[in-house]
Amino acid sequence: MKKSFLIQFSVLILLIIFANLGMRSIETFDDDELGNAGGIRIDLTGNETVFESSPKDLPPREGGTLVLAESAEPEHLNTYTSTSAAATRVLDYIYETLLDYDYETWRYDRPLLAESFSISDDGYTFTFKIRENVYWHDGQQLTADDVLFSIKAVLNPFVDCAPMRSSFSKVVSASTNGQYEFIISSSETYFRNQEILGGFHIIPKHIWDPKGLLDRYSVEDLLNPSVTREEAAIKEFADAFNTHPQGRPVGEDAEPIIGSGPWLFDKWITGDYISYARNDNYWNDDPTYIDGYSEDGAYLDKVIVKVISDATARLTALKASEIDFIPRMRAVQYFTQTNTPDFLEKFQKVSYVVPAYSYIGWNNDKPYFSDKRVRQAMTMLIDRDSYNKYVAYGLGIPTIGPFYIYGEQYNHNIERWPYDPIRAVELIEEAGWIDHDGDGIRDKDGVPFNFTFSVSAGSTSSKYMALMLKEDLRKVGIVVNIRQLEWSVYVENLRDRQFDVVSLLWIGGLESDPYQIWHSDNIGDRGSNYMGFRHAEADSLIETARFELDKKKRNAMYFRLQEIFHEEQPYTFMFYQRDPGAYLKEFHGVKWIPIRPGYKLYSWWRNTSMAGEAS
Amino acid sequence: MSEMAPARTYSQIVGSQFRKNKLAVLSLHVIYVLLFVFIFADFLANDKPIVMRYQGSTYFPVFREYGVNWFGLNWQDAFKSQQFKILEEKYGEGDWAIYPVIPYSSTEYNLEVKLQPPSRAHIFGTDELGRDVLSQMIHGARVSLLVGFVAVAIYVFIGVILGALAGFYGGVIDIVIQRMIEIMITFPRMFLIITIVAVMETQSIINIMIILGLTGWTGVARFTRGEFLKVKNEDYVVAAKALGYRDFRTIFRHVLPNTLTPVLVTATFGVAAAILIESGLSFLGFGAPPEQATWGSLLSSARDTLPTGWWLTTFPGLAIFITVTVYNLVGEGLRDALDPRLKQ
Repeated sequence: MKKSFLIQFSVLILLIIFANLGMRSIETFDDDELGNAGGIRIDLTGNETVFESSPKDLPPREGGTLVLAESAEPEHLNTYTSTSAAATRVLDYIYETLLDYDYETWRYDRPLLAESFSISDDGYTFTFKIRENVYWHDGQQLTADDVLFSIKAVLNPFVDCAPMRSSFSKVVSASTNGQYEFIISSSETYFRNQEILGGFHIIPKHIWDPKGLLDRYSVEDLLNPSVTREEAAIKEFADAFNTHPQGRPVGEDAEPIIGSGPWLFDKWITGDYISYARNDNYWNDDPTYIDGYSEDGAYLDKVIVKVISDATARLTALKASEIDFIPRMRAVQYFTQTNTPDFLEKFQKVSYVVPAYSYIGWNNDKPYFSDKRVRQAMTMLIDRDSYNKYVAYGLGIPTIGPFYIYGEQYNHNIERWPYDPIRAVELIEEAGWIDHDGDGIRDKDGVPFNFTFSVSAGSTSSKYMALMLKEDLRKVGIVVNIRQLEWSVYVENLRDRQFDVVSLLWIGGLESDPYQIWHSDNIGDRGSNYMGFRHAEADSLIETARFELDKKKRNAMYFRLQEIFHEEQPYTFMFYQRDPGAYLKEFHGVKWIPIRPGYKLYSWWRNTSMAGEAS
Repeated sequence: MSEMAPARTYSQIVGSQFRKNKLAVLSLHVIYVLLFVFIFADFLANDKPIVMRYQGSTYFPVFREYGVNWFGLNWQDAFKSQQFKILEEKYGEGDWAIYPVIPYSSTEYNLEVKLQPPSRAHIFGTDELGRDVLSQMIHGARVSLLVGFVAVAIYVFIGVILGALAGFYGGVIDIVIQRMIEIMITFPRMFLIITIVAVMETQSIINIMIILGLTGWTGVARFTRGEFLKVKNEDYVVAAKALGYRDFRTIFRHVLPNTLTPVLVTATFGVAAAILIESGLSFLGFGAPPEQATWGSLLSSARDTLPTGWWLTTFPGLAIFITVTVYNLVGEGLRDALDPRLKQ
């Protein structure tokens, strides 16, 4: 027995020694060094709209496989009913839209499946001329009928896609004119109409509705509740649509998803990977767009998206050459665990800005946070700069409002609230939160200042935020309880507004409409104004701006709106996000763009000769 | 020689047998140290002074903290913010403070010293928020030991009663209890625990203790049942029955005291197992709430920073290893000492 103990102990000591042999001391960075850590830092500001991080001297060639790792798996792959970013990332490669972003101006006006489009003089009606040379992956031709069918599926009230349908709520009619013309009308001249009406995935009618159930109904019929209630076929279609096997092509023998894009869906093995193969019969051979963005097809033979939920395991897999590309790693990995010469020689590290910002949301309807002075004080109590420097390794870009920091809507004239705990305590006391009963905890009207900070179980950064806030607020007589919740529960509580404080990320676009998140119409009833922000002037600004087609005037309203947000502090706006990633240097044509997910794989190609030399 | 010695009691015999096992005795002393840390954690690692002299009066902030937390006392006005280190700047003539050996609390953070290797200021280094690792380990020891003892106390209680009933009565009761045991042990325990923890609304170590207690009783129940079967036909049990004692009295006054010692020995191993499971749960993020320092959560945070930050794995890992080992060694020592076949 004693011997076995001695053996155990010496094995343990040996393990510790071995584990420490491979370790290096942590490198310390000066402030200006911090940004790089051997990688490239990409800010797509000003005129630069696309950044290529790989050498540009070689002509692209076809072939090779790319294996990348994502943290989450889509819930399913029905493009209209899925809501996760993971599903969108997969389906954006398979389906196409009528219009897309222009890669030089980043305006949503480049015809893709459409050959051209026009807007009526009154701004209500859009006419799209569909290309005549577009074919689905199964060889059938894509026509205006498919486009009309797609919008009918979205508008069918029984299809399980309420969040998406709300964007189309102002559509009044849609029709085809011949095989190649699609006309759609809206009752409003909403400024994002072009992005919405030209931006939904087109799905093949012959696959999703082989019986032609929806043929008999016009868009007007589908928008008319008395018709949809009466006609059983509409419900029948929706039931079939919601559970269609195309939405869940799982396993080795599943029928592949039929789309029109430059990639063919290959396989989805749940819990393991999703893969695509290059579409050699891709319809688009028009190479007029930015070279390499090649909607004239892709270069890679195959793309495999592995699902590895654990960040440490992802990095280990990259180092072991099991994967080639991690789009998002943890800041600490980027800055301290990938600085060896070996790693930097083999992999290229990149940090790139995506239009997503983090915030701490104060539930404005809770007694603690109903006073704007308390919310301002909370913002001033959070040392955002230290947090960014030490916890986020300087990857955050401080923001004062919800708009894309490098976009035209962002108001750069507003000064951020400083970190000022002394002024903050004064404000809290002004608002009436004083320790009346002398128990060391501030209170007002008999309510002690004791709130719960909800943290999603997987998020280390918001856990750290909560721990720091708890310790800091304890010193000024405020109690913070930290509650870790599973993501699904977390979201459920958020929608039901059952929380005091949350720490979250909003993913937006280059140009966004604040209506969904900030208008008081969207409080409760599972609307997205989770914080319960109510402000009469903000409401009227949001409403007017929606239908102001003059960009200058509209942005002036949004500038004013941001002043209101700044004053009211419904959120503590934290940072726009810079995602750190790394890829194998064998890949060329690696380009970074300001829309999510920050990269497009069309232009990537693998320089296999380089691998040959290396091995 | 033995006939010359005065008659020794049972516990003296066991004690002398136990003392022959040097490793077990050493382990017992380690347990004493752990118990000391358990009781006096707040006086060993704290950001509040134990004694301080401030503006002419003497204060005991650590004791005061107990008063605030448990007896509804309040902090003195001068200490409302509890930032004693900042207060030092205001010290006048004759003001002083005596701090604990490790003058950091387990939650106090300082981003400027994040991920520091061991140094004189932070003997075991700091974590990703600049919190002192040794202070977290000292307060984490509380969680580990508390979970170990309470969980085992719960399951010994359940196991002994069920095992006693099964062993004493036999028949239908025995069959029912045995089937219950079999159902329990067919569940993999760790998965069962994780499942239960995942559906719990709040995270707290009390939940962990109860869950560990409710899932761990099967071994004790079987053991007690076996012991009961062994002694239930002994003369003194028959005599108790013949005297017409109620079953309750027979079981708990006569049979149980003669079967309990070996059961308690297995409980020592149980403490070690419970500590290990708690560490595992904390490592996976299912255990204690995030602000509660535990050995497992320290290890888990180290995992994010590997391969740097060796001190975050080494010290908590050693702490778990040593604690689990000493409980096992004491358990083995006791078992050997109680085993009559080894009594020579």
